[in-house]
Amino acid sequence: MPAAVLLIGSAFAVAQQTATDLDGHAVNPLATDSGKIVVLVFLRRDCPVSSRYAPVIQRISRQYADRATFWLVYPDKSDSPQAIRKYLEDYGYRLPALRDPEHMLVKIARVQITPEVAVFDRGHQLVYDGRIDDWYVDLARAKPAATTRELDDAIRAALAGKAVAKSEVRGVGCYISDLE
Amino acid sequence: MLHLRPGINSWLRVGAWAAILLTAVAATLSGRTAPHRSSERRPAQVTFNRDIAPIVFHSCSSCHRPGEAAPFSLLNYSDVRKHARQIVDVTQSRAMPPWLPEPQELKFADELRLSDTEINLIKSWVEQGEVEGDPSVLPVQPKFVDGWRLGEPDLVLTANKPLTLPPSGTDTYWNFIFPVPIQETRWVKAVEIRPGDKRYVHHANILVDREGSSRQHETEPGAGFGGMEIRIESRVFDPDSHLLFWKPGTVPYVEPEGMAMRLDKGTDLILNTHLQPSGKPEVIQPSIGLYFTPHPATKLPMLLQLENDAKLDIPAGQRDFLVTDDFALPSDVELLAIYPHAHYLGKDIQAFATLPDGTKKTLLHIPQWNLNWQAVYRYEQPMRLPKGTKVSLRYVYDNSEGNPLNPNHPPARVKGGNRSSDEMCHLWLQVLPVNFDPAQGDPRMVLQQALAQHNVEKNPRDFEAHYNLAAMLQAKDKIEDAIHEYEAAVRLRPEDAAGNNALGAALVEAEHPAQAVGYLQTALKARPDYFEAHYNLGFALAGQDDFAGAVEQFRFALKLQPDDANVEANLGAALAQMGQLPEAKSHFEHALQIDPNQPIAKENLVELLREMNSH
Repeated sequence: MPAAVLLIGSAFAVAQQTATDLDGHAVNPLATDSGKIVVLVFLRRDCPVSSRYAPVIQRISRQYADRATFWLVYPDKSDSPQAIRKYLEDYGYRLPALRDPEHMLVKIARVQITPEVAVFDRGHQLVYDGRIDDWYVDLARAKPAATTRELDDAIRAALAGKAVAKSEVRGVGCYISDLE
Repeated sequence: MLHLRPGINSWLRVGAWAAILLTAVAATLSGRTAPHRSSERRPAQVTFNRDIAPIVFHSCSSCHRPGEAAPFSLLNYSDVRKHARQIVDVTQSRAMPPWLPEPQELKFADELRLSDTEINLIKSWVEQGEVEGDPSVLPVQPKFVDGWRLGEPDLVLTANKPLTLPPSGTDTYWNFIFPVPIQETRWVKAVEIRPGDKRYVHHANILVDREGSSRQHETEPGAGFGGMEIRIESRVFDPDSHLLFWKPGTVPYVEPEGMAMRLDKGTDLILNTHLQPSGKPEVIQPSIGLYFTPHPATKLPMLLQLENDAKLDIPAGQRDFLVTDDFALPSDVELLAIYPHAHYLGKDIQAFATLPDGTKKTLLHIPQWNLNWQAVYRYEQPMRLPKGTKVSLRYVYDNSEGNPLNPNHPPARVKGGNRSSDEMCHLWLQVLPVNFDPAQGDPRMVLQQALAQHNVEKNPRDFEAHYNLAAMLQAKDKIEDAIHEYEAAVRLRPEDAAGNNALGAALVEAEHPAQAVGYLQTALKARPDYFEAHYNLGFALAGQDDFAGAVEQFRFALKLQPDDANVEANLGAALAQMGQLPEAKSHFEHALQIDPNQPIAKENLVELLREMNSH
């Protein structure tokens, strides 16, 4: 009979698992009490599907700027703060960015792909994780325009305090698990 | 003493075609190892170094490296590992490497298709935990040529004005015009297209515009113009014969001996590009490298176009709308390459040949068409198609909600047309006429006339078919038949500048100048700066002894093309008819400065001087 082993996490390990901003400061995007809902957008610099969504993400974030806090989250540990800054500038992003090298936010948000999003309500409960819309059918084919708007629908539901119709719809793009 | 030069006609070509070849990977790799293809001795433990690296180096790395079209590099273990599950997905679905045709008896050169064994090895490798393996069996990383693949070109053309691609929106189709700055005819053995930033250019075609006819679409010289499909006009039968095509991974193709492409002074190359927004603004400034050969073309292939756009009227929601075209070859040819073209509703694309003995050969089968990965396919060996062979296309279109690429949501009726939201049904075959009697003239004309005749019968409302049939008949001196066909074309498009000009020119040639005038005036109303129409109208007026009117038209023409020896000579002749001998003399002299052998100027100047001296 194998003996039961109780594992106790050390303080050091917890510190390592924190997401950081581009200056290296630990940030928990779900710890603020702003009364806004929170949207995490997971991106990889080397994922063209992620990149093509930049104008869509910015449009939606502007639309809900007063009621939702958006964070861009980079789960690739090889994406340096400097490289991410350059990316933000190239794509004209005006949103705060976090590095999540240990995938702490990935796990909380339950996302698998870039670009996927996670929507948390005002109580910071996860209400939606998955794709932004159905623009991409697979990696070889994108529709001329999206015909669904899952992110938009989830934000509206969260703001209205209603249940999100589909709480999880997987996206098309690049696997986050390939980064482990 | 006015000598008439036969009227000028246009040869119309429609379609964004392209051309050449895609030599995907193999040619650039040096020191590469043959991909692992052993299916029987499948190792229990799949490792990157032994099993996966050879596949990646052979089939992925030429695009997946810095500066190339792919969004990330696949050059080593850590690169591949970072995309491992994604690679499993796209190889399982055969989205990557991008190769649309099914395997067939008639082999394509540079087939970029993984075997089932290779695809399964990749999957097993990921399932087994992406083991790196023994470094001593890792093949040497391929070495790639940076910059121009064939070395420094003999002539580099760069787009005058870059295009700024917006960060978002639908795909953009843009045409860049490259005037070719050569003073004499050159022969081109290879063309390398550098489309700008390769990550955002989906494909690009070069069309040869020998008459500058595309410049009319530019708002200002050098600006370029939008549009997925373009029409090129030319005065003489000089069909495109080369498929000059670029898509990601394309390596420039060197034409075989004797198949060089002719470039004359004044020729424009039109680069037709398909661009995809990336999420940020992109500046696209393509360039073209030309490699010359001293050897003129001795073999003249041509592009045969099968099509049936007129049948494209696809009801909303229809899942399997079939369009066909069948053309019987009037002479023996060798088939060199094939290039299919449909837009977003195209689904199943098939082409086959039925030989005179009834044997059916598949020329191409793409079960899941994808416009984004369209390509020219060149056969490993030329395929002989004897006279009487029926060449067929069978395209199936899906206009249902189930077609994710459907541009309309909900689906709407879609017809044939030039916009990307319209549909198309084209198939280009690059063929080389063989077993012909050179004494019978250009063998390509036999093919072209048969094709134009076929198109007129297939679709009596096809303007280009009537027009091109007329041009063929005119070239064979069947001028009355040609006029009949031009009339049919003009009835279909009463305002068309090229159609009216050609009919007018044919009437001038048939010595019916009075009838020609009205058509030529219509052409000029549609396009006031139409050089050929001014020129032809000058002839028509001169033919009715209206020399003052002729002089006026020739002067217009000269304003449009100042150094045209023929116009100078004919202007001189018209002035001489009006008795304005000193001015006539100066125009003859100018004509001879431009072209010392201009026959009209030469002959008339002698006579003029004799006449001036006798007074």
